[in-house]
Amino acid sequence: MLLDYSQTQKLLSKYNIPYIKSEIIRTESDLIKFSKKNKYPLVLKIDSKKILHKTEIGGVILDIKDKKTLLKSFKDIKKISRKYKSNIIIQKHINGINLIIGAKKDLTFGNIIIFGLGGIFTEVLNDTSMRLAPVNKQEIDSMIKEIKSYKILQGYRGKLVNIKKIQELILNLSNLIEKEDIQEIDFNPVIVNNKEIFVTDAKIIQS
Amino acid sequence: MQKLFNPKTICLVGATDRPGSVGFGIVKNLLQSKKKIYFVNPKKEKILNKKSYKRIQDIPENIDLCIIAVPAKYVIEIVNQAKEEINNLIIISAGFKEIGGIGERRQKELEKIVKENNINLIGPNCLGIIRGNLNASFAPATPKTGSIALISQSGALIDSIIDKSLDKLYGFSFIVSLGNQAGLKIEDFLEFADKDKKTKVISLYIEGVEDGRRLFNVLKQINKPIVILKGGKTDLGKKAVSSHTAALAGDSKIYSQAFKQSGAIEVNSIEELLDVSKALAWEPKIKNGIAIITNGGGAGILTADYCNDLKINLPDLSTGTLWNLRHKMLKTYSASNPVDIIGDADSKRYRDAINAILKQKNINGLIVIQTLQIMTDCLENAKIVVQAKAKYPQKAIVCAFLGGKITQKSIEHLEKNKIPNYSDPIRAVRAMRGLIK
Repeated sequence: MLLDYSQTQKLLSKYNIPYIKSEIIRTESDLIKFSKKNKYPLVLKIDSKKILHKTEIGGVILDIKDKKTLLKSFKDIKKISRKYKSNIIIQKHINGINLIIGAKKDLTFGNIIIFGLGGIFTEVLNDTSMRLAPVNKQEIDSMIKEIKSYKILQGYRGKLVNIKKIQELILNLSNLIEKEDIQEIDFNPVIVNNKEIFVTDAKIIQS
Repeated sequence: MQKLFNPKTICLVGATDRPGSVGFGIVKNLLQSKKKIYFVNPKKEKILNKKSYKRIQDIPENIDLCIIAVPAKYVIEIVNQAKEEINNLIIISAGFKEIGGIGERRQKELEKIVKENNINLIGPNCLGIIRGNLNASFAPATPKTGSIALISQSGALIDSIIDKSLDKLYGFSFIVSLGNQAGLKIEDFLEFADKDKKTKVISLYIEGVEDGRRLFNVLKQINKPIVILKGGKTDLGKKAVSSHTAALAGDSKIYSQAFKQSGAIEVNSIEELLDVSKALAWEPKIKNGIAIITNGGGAGILTADYCNDLKINLPDLSTGTLWNLRHKMLKTYSASNPVDIIGDADSKRYRDAINAILKQKNINGLIVIQTLQIMTDCLENAKIVVQAKAKYPQKAIVCAFLGGKITQKSIEHLEKNKIPNYSDPIRAVRAMRGLIK
């Protein structure tokens, strides 16, 4: 069973895993309220237990920079949410490098942690590293350095990222999968930059 | 388990003198060991002039090890009737879990009997075991003794490895064919090998385990080096697995990661399994940082390339080393690592280079390459390597004396003195990789 938005929020905060500031919205006034409290750019996306790949159905609108675009995007995404009977979520947009961090319970080997860069690095090039959980700091360090695209995290083209934040997040995820009755977790993407790290989308399947 | 591997009295149920049968194979192998052997076969009075007993219970002595090689349908009854007499048991017979259905039910029953009666069981559906001169298997020959423990989920692979090893100089501390693991499991033998004084390195062939986490935890605790060859890595291989030993093959990437994370060395072929095991049986484990000495530029370059691929460091020669070599080498020698001492190198040049380089502190291992030139004295070079090994026992020396007929004698001299030699630089480099902590 897939966890819903509020169950996900609750579980992540229990293990100190930072989730990007988000809210479920229903009306235009919810939308405006959020946009006033949190600065642009923003993101709108649908949230449903049934939909695993929301990007493919146009269910994610990134980098909304002003009120006009926000209102227009809201109208667009409402159509999709009606069609799939799903919630709409608004969240802050942050810039950085996309990561995929996940965990699963393997039938033979038990808890396993996976790490890689988002997008083609993982999906096309299969450039991920894996460890049997629980992992200690040393193992986390080696699994981050093991991927071929590690150079990108080190500051290729001047984009530096805070590797310590990645380490913390993996350690917290390792605690979570060891203690909770969870079958599979996908944080995709996790966005990291030189200051902060946030999970911006999570798919969690309960045992 | 000590008695299982070192029994004084053995009985074989299903003993026969019928040529070509499994029972006869075991009879022949058992008779070569210096143990007290009893045969059991209700249809025979005598086998090869030796008395044959009707039942295990009729044997007038306590039996340390019982071997059963009769059709599967009789096995449960035999074990049940003699469960008081049996402590250690090897069931060779096939026809259990691996065939499903009735076989699966037989195995369940067997598991129950051995558990309730505290019997150490190897098998069923296995080749048997070999320990020293005890050959309790139907393998085609008894291999030399040595310090490699071979634990395999495939019996047939053991047969081929034994044959391959017969004209080589390495040997085995024990060999066990796991079969269906209805009693003793892979982890039990790993723990036995770790404590066993005769074993220096553990070689493992596995296809799949049901509890990977248990294997991982045991692998982590073993102190001796472990070399693993895993079968069933592709979907095609997996089909062969489920009809082979009825184990479920897990996702191969997780297996590889589990091996790596536990500190074991995974290899990709039978040849590499033996190459790396041989090196670990004879050489010490070392820190990264080795040198290459060669009398052929090409072979040196290839070796350096392989080292780079496998992340083996080649430290620069120190000023001290260069100073020691300054008058001893030709002007044209390459004063770097790999050290090319030039094709016309005589044995003295080999000796000078080897001694100067092994003296350098951050060089922990050495690959000595020899290509055969008309002035090359192979045997003398081998003797020099052996002497260097005696002088620097804590450093790892691996050789690639490349060639054939002319080089053969020198290779034998190296290996008699426990210096591994390989016929190709890639094999030498992979073996060296296995020695690096």
